[in-house]
Amino acid sequence: MAGIMKSNSSTLYRISDVSKLLGLSADTLRYYEKISLLPKIQRSTGGIRLYGDSDLSRLRFIRRAQTMNFTLAEIGDLLKMREDPQHARDSVRELTRIKLAAVKQQLADLDTLRKELQLLVNLCTGSKDGCPIIDGIDGEKS
Amino acid sequence: MPVNIEVFSAPGCNSCGQAKKVIRKLVEQMGDDRLQWREVNVVAELDYAVELGILSTPAIAINGELIFTGLPSEKKLHAELLKQLETGL
Repeated sequence: MAGIMKSNSSTLYRISDVSKLLGLSADTLRYYEKISLLPKIQRSTGGIRLYGDSDLSRLRFIRRAQTMNFTLAEIGDLLKMREDPQHARDSVRELTRIKLAAVKQQLADLDTLRKELQLLVNLCTGSKDGCPIIDGIDGEKS
Repeated sequence: MPVNIEVFSAPGCNSCGQAKKVIRKLVEQMGDDRLQWREVNVVAELDYAVELGILSTPAIAINGELIFTGLPSEKKLHAELLKQLETGL
């Protein structure tokens, strides 16, 4: 991939590469650094930001947490827990427990939705006279 | 307590009519005071169907438990209903 630089054994990525890899804008990446969701990103001699694999791992964590609608402040606390679980404050540990419960609930809801969709697909493929998915949607409209 | 039978059907399900016909006949034969049945449209009660583990129609649940997937023979259904009645005594 263009723009990827090697430093010793680790790979370094320019902001444009990270942006493409993770689907986050360059402005968002700079903002995360500004509010300390990311540590100070190392720079090249020309002042270009160079992101390491650990930065990318951290960014993926942030992105996943955002899909769960966690706030940036909450994500910041979870990142502290991620860095040093043994020494995290009680409030951060409690927040992590609460968020774990939310993720488990989301998984259960998704599993139910998956089964519902699977049943509808099975009904569609097993039917000669029509598709219950479409019938169901029509029924809801009327 | 009567045995509660649910027949899960869906629009366009070819064997669901036969399943309902067999259930109706057996309930009449074995006594509608001891057996109760209803038809459940899986599209209308999708969450309930999923909760019972139904993946296709027809399916038959007895006392809230999925017993048959597909269309059972009348003989098998009769035997199962007899078993349920004896268990409930």
